[in-house]
Amino acid sequence: MMYRDDDALDRALFALPLEEPPADLRASILTTTAYRPAPMFSVTEITLFGAMAAIIVWLVALIAMGGGSLFVHTISAIVSTVARPLSNVTTLAWLGAGAATAFWLTFFTGSQPFTLASQRVGQRAR
Amino acid sequence: MTQPEAADGDLVAMAIRGNPDAFAVLVERYDRAVYHLAFRTLHDVEEARDVTQEAFFKAFRSLRTFKPGAKFSTWIFAIAYHACCDRLNRRKRYASEEMPDRADAGPGPEQQAIALDEAQRLRTAIDALPEKYRTVITLYHLQGRQYEEIAQVLGLPMGTVKTHLFRAKEQLRRLLSGAEVTEQ
Repeated sequence: MMYRDDDALDRALFALPLEEPPADLRASILTTTAYRPAPMFSVTEITLFGAMAAIIVWLVALIAMGGGSLFVHTISAIVSTVARPLSNVTTLAWLGAGAATAFWLTFFTGSQPFTLASQRVGQRAR
Repeated sequence: MTQPEAADGDLVAMAIRGNPDAFAVLVERYDRAVYHLAFRTLHDVEEARDVTQEAFFKAFRSLRTFKPGAKFSTWIFAIAYHACCDRLNRRKRYASEEMPDRADAGPGPEQQAIALDEAQRLRTAIDALPEKYRTVITLYHLQGRQYEEIAQVLGLPMGTVKTHLFRAKEQLRRLLSGAEVTEQ
């Protein structure tokens, strides 16, 4: 067939079938984009696990370097520092009031922590 | 539920809002065309596959940068075309492979054309074009007469696109008429 004018060539070009992609291409695109599996842990959870692991390593190093007495001394110092303000009833009352207010405010902002957590669990199950 | 006939822009908006099915519809609409562009540019099944996957991955990750009112097809073709250019440059740099600015190795279009059907003859002739003309013709095939969009994908002025297209068609006609002569 001759393509003497532009229109004939255009018609032939537009009628040209597209290349057939490999059979599994679409599936592999979708599994890396829209339908990629949800990550096992969120960034917050990974940060939390990392912090816990760092504390454990630190404590193990403390035991290895200074023996049991230094370890016990350090732990009791930490516990007493943390527990001192918590033993005060007024401090606890203020903490409770703050938490309740924060929770109440989530009803207006739409970022309900419990609802979001249950949604994420549902997503993972799917 | 995603409407399969929804406009591309709406699907992008839905995908940004977290609807995975919306992006899946866009993939269904354009994966074949993007693969076609990559394959026609690179002439390698594996590389064309990688480029297609890479293009959709990049698009998915930067959906928020998609300008409202722009055409998704132009955007995804531009991403794929740039990925193809990167690969062609890498080939040139590391493998001292010749840029496909010429006909492919193997029997020329004249020899092959005799046994091939019309579409295959046209494909063979397109393959024999220099790379810049081949890409313009491929995009013309995919986008139709949307010169402005072809220019956007290639990052070239519209005048250059029109010139390339004119020369590409001229060369195509010459190649195809050459095959015709061989057939007779």
